[in-house]
Amino acid sequence: MTSSSAPSRKVLSKIACNRLQKELVEWQVNPPAGFKHKVTDNLQRWVIEVNGAPGTLYANESYQLQVDFPENYPMEAPQVVFVPPAPLHPHIYSNGHICLDILYDSWSPAMTVSSICISILSMLSSSTVKQRPADNDRYVKNCRNGRSPKETRWWFHDDKV
Amino acid sequence: MAEEVAIEVEAVQAVYGEDCLVLDQFPPHLHVHIKPRTADVSSQQFVEAVLGIQAGSKEAVERLSTMNHPDGNCPLCLYPLFPEHKQNNILPFMKLMSCFHCFHSECIIRWWNWLQTQQEMDPDNSSSAIVQPSNEIEQQQGMHGMTEGSTGNCPVCRKVFHAKDIEHVLSLVGSHSLNLSSNGTEITDDEKLLHSDSEVTRRLKFEAMLKLQEENNGLIEPKKNGVIVPGMFLQRPITPPSALSAKGPTSEQQQRDPIIFSETSSSGSSSRASSTSEQRNLGMRRHRVRNSRKPVKQWVKKDNTPTN
Repeated sequence: MTSSSAPSRKVLSKIACNRLQKELVEWQVNPPAGFKHKVTDNLQRWVIEVNGAPGTLYANESYQLQVDFPENYPMEAPQVVFVPPAPLHPHIYSNGHICLDILYDSWSPAMTVSSICISILSMLSSSTVKQRPADNDRYVKNCRNGRSPKETRWWFHDDKV
Repeated sequence: MAEEVAIEVEAVQAVYGEDCLVLDQFPPHLHVHIKPRTADVSSQQFVEAVLGIQAGSKEAVERLSTMNHPDGNCPLCLYPLFPEHKQNNILPFMKLMSCFHCFHSECIIRWWNWLQTQQEMDPDNSSSAIVQPSNEIEQQQGMHGMTEGSTGNCPVCRKVFHAKDIEHVLSLVGSHSLNLSSNGTEITDDEKLLHSDSEVTRRLKFEAMLKLQEENNGLIEPKKNGVIVPGMFLQRPITPPSALSAKGPTSEQQQRDPIIFSETSSSGSSSRASSTSEQRNLGMRRHRVRNSRKPVKQWVKKDNTPTN
């Protein structure tokens, strides 16, 4: 893999800054249901509280998403992980990495933090069983050096959950 | 009452031409084919529609005429495609012809270039939304003689678009992009909008229709980017101003605008006086008249000559 997919700690480009400020304003006016943006002064890392949707396996549970924006956002997808403890879900690894195509291969710059959040909540809500992915231990071990999920070559196979 | 309505129906017909089907003259019942661009509702973007209009058509026409540009925000930068306040950063917009989604030219080209770069860096990686079977790409090259037969996907709906869709913007944006991305400099008006071939055709059709409608004293305000300057043709019914009031403005005009003077003088001084005074008389329209093409001026001259 190339180094481009490493979690970028480079400062946001002006375009990325403008876009994120716009997103933040929009979020404040119209936040996605079930999410709370934890206010910080760091535009490049958002911490978002997720509340499991009522009537689903994750009702009354609360998790934290950490969203890190690369220099070239929105051309490049943000890195989105759950802050452990991550929800028990067939596509969420115990280190918080999320197997969700729009975060990697299927990213489009027309997506926003808000739309990502909705996708993640939808993924949680449609789960029928609370369990880790089958390869959880192996994967997490491979990521021990703090590897970004964006470096993983994900194989998206399950469109039901 | 019925007469007024008939006039309005006629006006709508003039405005919409073949797109307007009159079902009933009175009470008026019209079918008008329109192409609204409602960019802020993602599920209803750029759907074509047939409007059934019953009475009250005047207001509808006025609304449509002021909305003839995409509404809402660019899906990539989230800033308005067409800002209300012109002094703000205005980027030219374009739409992908495959799906009619609109973006700032600058923004979609940035995405396009990003995809290209990603592909060059890592052709095997499927992380870009650009993976297409190579035979299709070759077909594209064959068909259009393009050096770049690449495709991309619309960021909004993922529909495939081809390099030719945005080709006309690439060079222009390329030369402006540094400026634009660093400080979002102003681009003044519609003339900076970029259009694909089919959009240009559509606009030509629209302007022809507009011209027709202007000649019929229709309702729509002329668009600001008019090359045709429909106002020219409205002069016909205007009664020529008296020769007396023309004296002063004429000499004034001569000093200020020698080009017009030389053009008009070729056919005699008497006609010159009346044509320039008419410019004066038109007030707001004057600058258009001065910018206009020669043939139109000649027409004005001929018509006014008898008044002297």
